[in-house]
Amino acid sequence: MVLPMLLLACCNVLPRDPAGTSTRVAKERAFTVALADPAVKGAPEVQRLVHEIERRTGAQAHWRPGTGEGLFAQLDDGTLDLVIGRFQADSPWATDVAFGPPLLKTGTKDGPLELKAAMRNGENRWIMTVERASRAVSQEAREE
Amino acid sequence: MSDTSLPDELREPMARAVRLEYWNIFWTLTIIVTMGLVLGQSQTMKTAWIEDTLGLVPPIMFLIAAHMERHAHRSRRFPFGFERVNGLGFFVAAVALTAVGALLLYNAVMALGSQEHATVGSIVILGQDIWLGWLMIAAQIYSLIPPLFIGRKELPLAKALNDKLLHTDALMNKANWLTGAAGLAGIIGLGLGWWWADSVAAAIISLDVLNDGIKALRSSTAELVDGAPRALSSTELSDDAQSLCDRLHAEFPGATIRLRETGRLIRAEVHDAHPPAQCRHPRDYWPQGEDRAWRLAQVSFIPPVKSDGSD
Repeated sequence: MVLPMLLLACCNVLPRDPAGTSTRVAKERAFTVALADPAVKGAPEVQRLVHEIERRTGAQAHWRPGTGEGLFAQLDDGTLDLVIGRFQADSPWATDVAFGPPLLKTGTKDGPLELKAAMRNGENRWIMTVERASRAVSQEAREE
Repeated sequence: MSDTSLPDELREPMARAVRLEYWNIFWTLTIIVTMGLVLGQSQTMKTAWIEDTLGLVPPIMFLIAAHMERHAHRSRRFPFGFERVNGLGFFVAAVALTAVGALLLYNAVMALGSQEHATVGSIVILGQDIWLGWLMIAAQIYSLIPPLFIGRKELPLAKALNDKLLHTDALMNKANWLTGAAGLAGIIGLGLGWWWADSVAAAIISLDVLNDGIKALRSSTAELVDGAPRALSSTELSDDAQSLCDRLHAEFPGATIRLRETGRLIRAEVHDAHPPAQCRHPRDYWPQGEDRAWRLAQVSFIPPVKSDGSD
């Protein structure tokens, strides 16, 4: 009984964020989001994802203006915490940012598109939080 | 003396070494698959995985060389058999280690210079979200275990066979805990939010690969250019060769002794001395008892040039 609990406690220690995103979100009770693609604003998966992250972190989402993949630069300098949009399944940005699991798959067989969130590279705890929330949302969508 | 390149007394230890190397390849493959499944974006994991993959080169080269030494007969085209195939295999393994070590070091330094923050996300196992770093740590720990046992078993065989390829592999396996520890520290450091830990650990592992490669390269090229026989694990002259040189000097004072190594065998040239009147097998010149006399395959005598210029 003690060992599994100890293991769970240890498991929860790692990972931490090099730039402290999760700590800041918890402290300020806020995180910043932008949409790379305005067309997805009405998508229910986007709203569900943001609400799920709010629920898990106890923080409020602050929407920021801006479109396009130029938002990735803001992710990189820490101005933004999350960018949501439809990206190619094999996006060339995959090494510059960390993509979460897809919430929805669209597009054609030759050009598949995935609705998903992008985070700052290396912020592993924050990335895990968003990944968990994304999986919960896509699971929910599958069950509907 | 057998018709193949391998002395008869080495057939049994060679057969054991071949069996061990097949096991070595099997366990290395399990490590490569395990590590490959959890690579992620971590530079440490990629470097450790490439190092593990490179670990296949020495046993494969050893098996190829051993096959030729055991089964390929001397022929008109290859009158000396294939005793130097092992040396060639050693050279190929050394080049591979050095080149990849240098490349990995370059990658690690570039990642450090550009302040790359490695992303290690989570995966779902049995319905639980687990940080991939934990699986990386588990894979790193697993990768430490088989080489430790294999390295210990390889070492006495390498000494018995005087096999540099096997000896290098044994030392690499035995020292694997160092790279494993660096790898573990890299992943744990990454988990603690130290972005640089990943690249620093990768650099330490690649330095180790490069060091192994350079040592092996120096020793293997010495053999290929007919340098004096080198010790198994260093670029120093071997004790065997030094004792043989002393023995020949004692018997043929004033002669120039030249030794070279063809694979595991030593060939000696005694310059400015006449051969003894009684015909002797090269093994009779071996200084330290019978058990390693197979090492001396040839003793040639080059008499002094007569003062009137005729032979």
